[in-house]
Amino acid sequence: MENQEVAQKIQEVAKKLLSEGKVSCVIGFEKGTVPMRERPFFAYTPEEAERLTWTSFCCNNLANFLVRRDLGEAGKVAVVAQGCVSRNIVGLIKENQISREQVFVIGVPSPGMLDRRKVQAEVGAEKVITEVSEDGEDLIVKGKGFEERVPRKKVMRDNCYTCVQRNPVIVDELIGAETEPTHGGNIDKVSAPWEKLQADDRWAEFAENYQTCIRCYACRDACPLCYCHVCFVDEAQPQWCGKTQDESDVLTYHVLRAFHCAGRCTDCGACESACPMGIKVRRLTSKIEKDIREMYGYQAGMDLESKPPMSVYRPDDPQEFIK
Amino acid sequence: MKNILEYVGIEPDRLHFSWISSAEAEKFQKTATQVCEAVRALGPAQHMIKDIRKVA
Amino acid sequence: MADKILAKDKLAEFIAALQKDKDVFAPKLDNDRLVWAPLEKADDIVWEFSNTEMSPKDFFFPQTECMMHFKNDPKAEDGMIMQAEPELAKERALLNIRPCDAKAFGVLDMIFCQDEMTNDVYWRDKREKTLLIGLACNDPCPTCFCTTVGCGPHNEAGLDVLLVDLGDKLLARPISDKGAKALSALPEAAADDAAKAAELKKAAEDSITQGVGTDKISGAEVLDLFNLPMWDRVHESCLNCGTCTFCCPTCHCFDIQDEVQGEAGRRVRNWDYCMSWLFTVHGTGHNPRHGKKERVRQRFMHKFKYIPLKRGGEIGCVGCGRCVQLCPVNIDVREVVNSMNA
Repeated sequence: MENQEVAQKIQEVAKKLLSEGKVSCVIGFEKGTVPMRERPFFAYTPEEAERLTWTSFCCNNLANFLVRRDLGEAGKVAVVAQGCVSRNIVGLIKENQISREQVFVIGVPSPGMLDRRKVQAEVGAEKVITEVSEDGEDLIVKGKGFEERVPRKKVMRDNCYTCVQRNPVIVDELIGAETEPTHGGNIDKVSAPWEKLQADDRWAEFAENYQTCIRCYACRDACPLCYCHVCFVDEAQPQWCGKTQDESDVLTYHVLRAFHCAGRCTDCGACESACPMGIKVRRLTSKIEKDIREMYGYQAGMDLESKPPMSVYRPDDPQEFIK
Repeated sequence: MKNILEYVGIEPDRLHFSWISSAEAEKFQKTATQVCEAVRALGPAQHMIKDIRKVA
Repeated sequence: MADKILAKDKLAEFIAALQKDKDVFAPKLDNDRLVWAPLEKADDIVWEFSNTEMSPKDFFFPQTECMMHFKNDPKAEDGMIMQAEPELAKERALLNIRPCDAKAFGVLDMIFCQDEMTNDVYWRDKREKTLLIGLACNDPCPTCFCTTVGCGPHNEAGLDVLLVDLGDKLLARPISDKGAKALSALPEAAADDAAKAAELKKAAEDSITQGVGTDKISGAEVLDLFNLPMWDRVHESCLNCGTCTFCCPTCHCFDIQDEVQGEAGRRVRNWDYCMSWLFTVHGTGHNPRHGKKERVRQRFMHKFKYIPLKRGGEIGCVGCGRCVQLCPVNIDVREVVNSMNA
């Protein structure tokens, strides 16, 4: 189904839900003010629902907004969710942050979201892009004095290449038909890229990867797992993590945040899409996703029933590290 | 935690886990010695060090 | 002061002269990102660019800046005595800084150096020792809106020299005495060079079509703006991250921390941001800006109402458009300000 058709269907569903009073709000995307930047939008009326859209640049994880709202007051809300987002909704339900009844899932099989930085690199870093539209498997990128066709496949987000769950795992209304479950990329070939290196080189890559970090915490704030009322980096008594740009402070933040996502990360890529510096956050987090999959046979948020490995004990849990 | 520290290049021997009951004094003593020996053998840590006497 | 001409094939000489007593920096492409970096030779200069990803404010106001060292030991000879940080040892020149960024430093001068008692030594030292050689924008971005916030693509405020790219040569306009000195060896510009520069200026200004209106904001009461119903919607998608603040050339809030290690200690200031919950939380646990709405409102009110109110109408935004481009949820300052001004 073409994106435009999906957008139209989302609008129809949203209008119906809002006019029938089934939900108080529909969380989706609207067109942004700059190319390749669709943005979260909250529609409260059927008229507002007409602003809802769908393109391959809907890169925020909308499950994030379910925990950052007071759902008690808002009542039931609907949210537009691809595979990964639905997995995060499942995660939030399992972690008792929201209840299944509070959320109406408008499921959309993911077309594979695109990376605006890759598009920019494809046409040249110095060029100013003024318009990007989609034409089947191609993007049409326009700017002053140029127009280029870029194949979607070339500019997909890293995590979308290796997606294992494009279709939503929980759905109240599905837009269009289910699609191929994966994009065909092999996650094990690309995840945890530093594993094959020597210890010193691993450290060098790690430090290098985060060298441009400005500690804006967009990766944390865009992440539907990071819903702590007070994040450990914001704790003042005691202060666990220094506030400076010293390498040790910056890296402490990243390594601890990654660790807190163990067994919960759905590899949705929202952190990378949000990062203003284009840092490849997943080079670190993918290690954790991989370990959890290999050690516990678990992938986060695939169903409502299985227990998250970090919150249960089983006698056969791997425990070689305990003396 | 141990895996991810190792993944970013920190020596796994700097982090130790053990189950010790409050009744296992001897195990506690042995483990503490082992931890000290293992860390001492590695020498001073090279990473995640912030020396404020040296930073400007 | 008369306009000068700097031929591009004479740049090597010009740069070498600057380098005699200054460290020279300029925008440079680094892995598809435009960043500020030391400039070694004239050939490395990038001429076609919109602007650097981050503002150059960290030349004067580093994200982490040590303010002093101390020894927390009353018995030691040098105990309990604050050791000042050394001043900037060598002068600097920022080549091809955009006029919007230079204008921003002018705004920040008003805040960091208000009077004798409010005179930030760290900021002032670096400002006084830095020569700003601007490069006028002949081709503004779609996200630029400088002309509508009292700035412009060829704006001169805050600069020592303004360069206008005329193809194979640059029109070099001295703005300050410091700038005039740096240009003293160059030949004067012909009248048609200046005319060409004026044409480019007009064309650049005319190409900026989307902007903000601030006329009604300046006349409105603070509380009326503060209580506008629009604030109930603006913050909805905000993640409360620090991106807009950190990329902004005029955002200047910081947090001071003392770090100690044994008996050694230092006082350090780090960029802080009003989007953060921690920014305003009190020791009691009370937080006057407890929600996203309050925090988002603060940022726009500060730039477009509080700063103009206290600094003679000067707006705390120069229209560089960085936040429009980098905000992870595309909260567009132009839309927000226009609804404040509605």
